[in-house]
Amino acid sequence: MAETKTPVIQVKDLYKVYRVGDTKVRALNGVEFNIYKGEFCSIVGTSGSGKSTLLNMLAGLEKPTKGQVIIGGEHMESKTENQLVKFRREHIGFIFQSFNLMATMTALENVALPLTFQGVSKEQRLKKAGELLDLVGLKKYKKHRPTQMSGGQQQRVGVARALVVHPEIIFADEPTGNLDSNTSEEVMRLMQKVVEEQHQTLVMVTHDNHLASFADRIFHIKDGKIVQIEDNRANRSGEKAAMPQQGPGTEDRVDA
Amino acid sequence: MRILDLLRMSSGSLLKRKFRTILTVLGVMIGTASIVVMVSLGLGINRAQMEQIERYGGLTTITVREGRNDGYYGGTVNGASVYIAGSSSSDGEVKRLDDEAIRMLQGLQHVKSVYPILTFSAIAKFGAYESDLSIQGMTPEGLEDQNIQIGEGHLPTDSSELEFFYGNKVAADFYNPKTYDYPYYSTGKYVVDLSKDTLFIIFDQSAYWSSQNDGTVQPPRKYIVPTAGVEKANEENEWSSNGYTVFCNLDALKTTLQRIFRNKVIPGQPTTAGGKPYKEIYYNRASVVVDDVENVVEVQEFINSLGYSADSNIEWIQSTKEQMANIQALLGGIGAVSLLVAAIGITNTMMMSIYERTKEIGVMKVLGCDMRNIQELFLIEAGYIGFIGGLVGLGLSYTISAVINRALAAGGEATVTSYIPPWLAIAALIFAVIIGMVAGFFPSRRAMKLSPLAAIRNE
Repeated sequence: MAETKTPVIQVKDLYKVYRVGDTKVRALNGVEFNIYKGEFCSIVGTSGSGKSTLLNMLAGLEKPTKGQVIIGGEHMESKTENQLVKFRREHIGFIFQSFNLMATMTALENVALPLTFQGVSKEQRLKKAGELLDLVGLKKYKKHRPTQMSGGQQQRVGVARALVVHPEIIFADEPTGNLDSNTSEEVMRLMQKVVEEQHQTLVMVTHDNHLASFADRIFHIKDGKIVQIEDNRANRSGEKAAMPQQGPGTEDRVDA
Repeated sequence: MRILDLLRMSSGSLLKRKFRTILTVLGVMIGTASIVVMVSLGLGINRAQMEQIERYGGLTTITVREGRNDGYYGGTVNGASVYIAGSSSSDGEVKRLDDEAIRMLQGLQHVKSVYPILTFSAIAKFGAYESDLSIQGMTPEGLEDQNIQIGEGHLPTDSSELEFFYGNKVAADFYNPKTYDYPYYSTGKYVVDLSKDTLFIIFDQSAYWSSQNDGTVQPPRKYIVPTAGVEKANEENEWSSNGYTVFCNLDALKTTLQRIFRNKVIPGQPTTAGGKPYKEIYYNRASVVVDDVENVVEVQEFINSLGYSADSNIEWIQSTKEQMANIQALLGGIGAVSLLVAAIGITNTMMMSIYERTKEIGVMKVLGCDMRNIQELFLIEAGYIGFIGGLVGLGLSYTISAVINRALAAGGEATVTSYIPPWLAIAALIFAVIIGMVAGFFPSRRAMKLSPLAAIRNE
């Protein structure tokens, strides 16, 4: 473990309390952890464990009731909505469960969209988006619209879109939730590869222990608290899957 | 975001929902067209009115008559002077129109020309019929300026000899003094052909009437005045303002009257306190032509302040203009109602579109699209609807305008037309865009404030 490095994400004493009628629901109940650069972390828990709330808070989509979220030295909890949007635009990539590609745009334009929001010129952003589509293995699908692609292909576009701004950190919210298990593994391996080759930091939320095991570290969350942080580098799913005799549904994989 | 990208994205989402966009655009189109056509009709009526005023002695002519002076000379020209000149105080000096006054008027600033006019009433006899002629003596320039359409002969410009030029309705005014029958009005036929028949003219009316009533009085002399010409009589010209007037040369009329009424008071002319005639003949009125409509009020008020009575069409024009503004506001208001309905349509369309795209907007926010950019995207979209609707509406307006004009021209009523000046077209287009953006403002704020969490939620 790289304890000497400064963390990219610091979460300190994080609480989120929802008020449902007269009762208070503690979605997050004192969460504390650090995530370091170049790590692939997964947050795993059952439905209602608070994992999605945690992700929303990390990405600045929701305000915490109490506590701090520090990303790259900046306090997310004290930013206004405009500042949060700006921060996400420059420092954060996001991969959605239901891909959320713009239906009217081609794969290339979709990948370039975050750069459009940054005000990058058309020529530059399409060039950059093209490179990333090559990276995720969709060289031939640049002019395809989302409806003309399979779910796995769409999520590859989603991964490319998250990478295009060179973010400090990428968040993935159940990225394989809408995919079958074969395609899920494929996308997971793509994300592993991206983290390694691009030296990116990725935080993924999932309810599936098997998918969580693709990560370097696994955060187990239950009833709003981190119950266990598991270092998984020794037995990551990706390495195991690379061996042909192990792992289901990997025999037809040729490239990742 | 770059402006070009904003425009591209907005038009892209409009094109994605073609049918709805077309319906909304249709509303704006009808709204714009109704305003433009209504206002164009107002402008057409306005133009027709101005043309009519132009025909009635023009916009730049001031008619000056004698007036009483209260010692209110020159000085400040204000509204009050009009009334002071108009109210005749008995001890005031009467300002009469003589040659000197005409020269003075001619010398005023902004005055292009001055035509003195001398009117006189005489009796014309033809067989058993007679008629009262209203004779109008004018300078040759003044006659030219009357826009008289000559039917036969020429205008009486010769100052050496008195000649009469008859208006096209003069012949209709002959009646039988015994039966008081006007043959033209009872039979529709003229009893006299003014271009050929010889009339006997009696200038001294009072002597004529006293001889008629009292057999002992010697009837006055009758004169034969040569005919210079007759005004053209056609349908279009039938009710011309000159129809009942007999024109003649001013100087010839003056010398003739002075010869006939030697040492006597010429009827219609002022006398001294002792009832004696003046040496000079005073004009009844003078037409002062001003160089520009803008200066009419100024000149008119100045002439009034000098003690003369001056009036022009300017008050008429001003009241007409006010009336026209009211009509236009009314017509524009009627048209505006349909544009208002269209605006509500835009708001509705945008709201629906935003509800539909809640997720898309959320995704954009998660990916870091600026809140202002999101608002701009929707404002531009609404503006596009306004612009396209306005543009198509203008095309429709020109078509409707052309149809109205054609229909009215076919109906023979060519004066009231629909008229779309370029400024109206441009203003309508800008107005349509503004209406679109105003209608889109509330929805765009709504879009801006949508939560990015909508993107995370899974349907």
